[in-house]
Amino acid sequence: MTELLQVLVTMLFFPAGLFLLANAMFYQWIDRKLVARLQDRVGPPWYQPLADTVKLLANEEVLPFGVNKWLFIGLPIIGLAGALTTALYLPIAGLPPAYGFPGDLIVTVYMLSMLTLCLGLAGANTRDRFSMVGATRTLTQLFSYEAPFLLALLGPALAAGSWQLSDIMAYASGNWLLLTQPIGFVVVIIGLMGKLEITPFDAPEAETEIVAGALTEYSGRGLALFRLGQWVELVIGLTMIAAFYLGGIHNPLDYVIKTLFPLLIIAGLQTLMTRLRIDQTVGMWWRYGALLALVQWLLIFLMGGGQ
Amino acid sequence: MTPSTDRKRFTVPIGPQHPALKEPGHFAFDVDGEIVQSASVRLGYAHRGIEKATESRTWVQNLYLLERICGICSHIHATAYCLGVEKLAEVEVPPRAQAIRSLVAELERIHSHLLWLGVAAHEAGFDTLFMYSWRDRETVMDILEALTGNRVHYSANVLGGVKYDVDDKQAATIREGLDFLEERTLHYLEVVTTDGLFLQRTRGIGVMNRDEAEQSGVIGPTGRASGVHRDVRIDSPYTAYAEHPILPVYESTGDLLARFIVRLREQLASFEYIRMLLDHLPNSPLTTRMPRRVKEGEAISRVEAPRGELFYFIKSNGGDMPERIHVRTPTLCNIASVAQLVIGQHLADVPMILVGIDPCFSCNDRTSVISQDGQRDLWTWDRLRQYGINHYGTHYSKDIHR
Amino acid sequence: MTTDRNLLHAQSILRDLATDWSQPAPERYDAHVLPQKLVATVTKLNQARWGYLAAITGLDKGPEVGEFEVLYHFCAGAAVLTLRVTLNRAYPVIPSVCAVFPYASPYERETGEMLGIRFDGTPDDSWLFLPDDWEPEVFPLRKDTVLNGGDA
Repeated sequence: MTELLQVLVTMLFFPAGLFLLANAMFYQWIDRKLVARLQDRVGPPWYQPLADTVKLLANEEVLPFGVNKWLFIGLPIIGLAGALTTALYLPIAGLPPAYGFPGDLIVTVYMLSMLTLCLGLAGANTRDRFSMVGATRTLTQLFSYEAPFLLALLGPALAAGSWQLSDIMAYASGNWLLLTQPIGFVVVIIGLMGKLEITPFDAPEAETEIVAGALTEYSGRGLALFRLGQWVELVIGLTMIAAFYLGGIHNPLDYVIKTLFPLLIIAGLQTLMTRLRIDQTVGMWWRYGALLALVQWLLIFLMGGGQ
Repeated sequence: MTPSTDRKRFTVPIGPQHPALKEPGHFAFDVDGEIVQSASVRLGYAHRGIEKATESRTWVQNLYLLERICGICSHIHATAYCLGVEKLAEVEVPPRAQAIRSLVAELERIHSHLLWLGVAAHEAGFDTLFMYSWRDRETVMDILEALTGNRVHYSANVLGGVKYDVDDKQAATIREGLDFLEERTLHYLEVVTTDGLFLQRTRGIGVMNRDEAEQSGVIGPTGRASGVHRDVRIDSPYTAYAEHPILPVYESTGDLLARFIVRLREQLASFEYIRMLLDHLPNSPLTTRMPRRVKEGEAISRVEAPRGELFYFIKSNGGDMPERIHVRTPTLCNIASVAQLVIGQHLADVPMILVGIDPCFSCNDRTSVISQDGQRDLWTWDRLRQYGINHYGTHYSKDIHR
Repeated sequence: MTTDRNLLHAQSILRDLATDWSQPAPERYDAHVLPQKLVATVTKLNQARWGYLAAITGLDKGPEVGEFEVLYHFCAGAAVLTLRVTLNRAYPVIPSVCAVFPYASPYERETGEMLGIRFDGTPDDSWLFLPDDWEPEVFPLRKDTVLNGGDA
């Protein structure tokens, strides 16, 4: 009985579920506010993401002509669920992860990709031209940043000698990997920006060319769920960065400080950059991203980090 | 929305409602993957029937009507009209009025170019530059408001002169604003020529060499970026440009980067020019008497709008209303070049190339969309809504379900 | 003076092609050209690289006169050369100049749809400005077309 209760709590409230959603909205607001202030704008009030979500959930969801209904409705749910599930293996808010097993690092990374995959499928599912182009770009981009992103995340795993998140975090809380693996840190931060499709990697949803990309035909609930999923990804990504590279997470305050630091970097980069064309994005990742990640590996081996 | 199985005919429509366009126009781009194969243009979504309407209004009424052709280059439309009518009526406009016309025209050019800079940066996904340039644009809007009382439709012209004078206090405000804007423009010039990521989106994109540009009839800053030496202010000076020539700006590379540089450098030239005008404002009355009827004849009036040469053909039959007014806006000249330029380019570069000519569809769209039943009646909201439902129900459902 | 030189040059190019000419203003030169000579005329101007085609204006002289006039304005510096082509209102057909000046296409589309003049051989004669549900045989800029009870 208590076990069931515990499972329910972990699923619905903490760390996955409501707490994570609230956290995601808050971080989304911080990102938007930071970018706005850097661009000399006022920016939205703190409740804006919540208001957006509530409004979208209340809106009618239009089912466009020619789509597979089940996919159209199911994909946002699967995508969000994938993003939320990752929270079970991470020290959200500085508390120890709810679950863990050897190799959960790989599962986490691929759970995160599930949202992107759902996004691509959702775009390809509709018959709209903008969605199709957006879907192609989303998936192209996925294949370009995914490998370097994963390679860079494996850096800490190599150093810790384990593929289990809790082991890596235990190793990382003693060592600031930011100092020993700076290249990996850079690749991961930029990879996260690619995952979240924020400038300069927002070609898949470049509004001036293809409106909202894969999400063009989405309205109401589907759109809200996809957006929430992306915001959750932001929090998960930041948590991983903090746990891996910034000396681990020990308590809630530590969590807030260490996740806001990479968010600040992301907001700054986002402000300074121009959108890359999709071919430029792919070229950049395979030419520099993958290479940098491999150089980082080489350095880890040379320094004897690999056990 | 018909996705076709034939790869070559996968058409990406841009407009009439599209986030890349701040005004309605329709472009259909056939793409193969990300590469554009062909393009077609359809305009007219902002038609108001202005050319036809001028024929049933007096010379004075038309001034206010024509000024409203465009929401950005309103002053230059009125100037072109005034110059043409004054030519027909053989009226000599006092020098101070001519200088003030040039002054407002250059301020308008600054405002238009800053607006363009923001829009173009936004198309490239560089929103920070967009936000900053539009913030700075407020400075020149404030100057125009202080001068004429309006931010956009300054209404500075009257037939035979201008309405507003510039006093010393206003001159000081203008100079102060210009100093700030000059500093900012130099900064933007540095940003667009040195920012690596931005250069990736502009350098060597949409290139038009001088020969191609001349063959495709391109005018204004778009042409000058390709080294086409066409600037009405230089070629056929009007208002104060005859007495005080303005520095022409040309680039030769003809890519998007050159179009950025030309417009930014033109702003710098405008700052210099306005300062010089303020130093040399002649003393004279602001207006001269204008007859109500205009002598029979035809006049051609050419001026340099922010987007290029604006061409007015005015015909009078000796009455108090014009016989015919024909307006050829710069966008109509340049729009044909877009359809040529985008072929072979990446879809991602298309909005940039399109915006590179600084299209102004409201300028272009002047005629019709007036009901022909001979009655002017107001539509209630319900009726409008029902009209929309019927219209799309009958016309477009075929398309959608094809 | 470049302007005078340009105008003299234009006159020499058009010597055998213009039926009549006048100079309404110091910087302007108006030449009347027959419709069948139009393409030859603009080809010659283009070969001589005399300016650029700045605009095409369509004039309706009204049903009483029964004529249309199509004006081709060429600009070179301050000089403006206008080719005036008179058409019969009952049979308003004129050859297209798009083969010589490809960018004339939007000008011809505009003049064509507004006045109901047919440009023979123009690459695209679909409507550029008129709305999709516009009545096909109504040409707004004709003098006898009354729109909106005459107030338009």
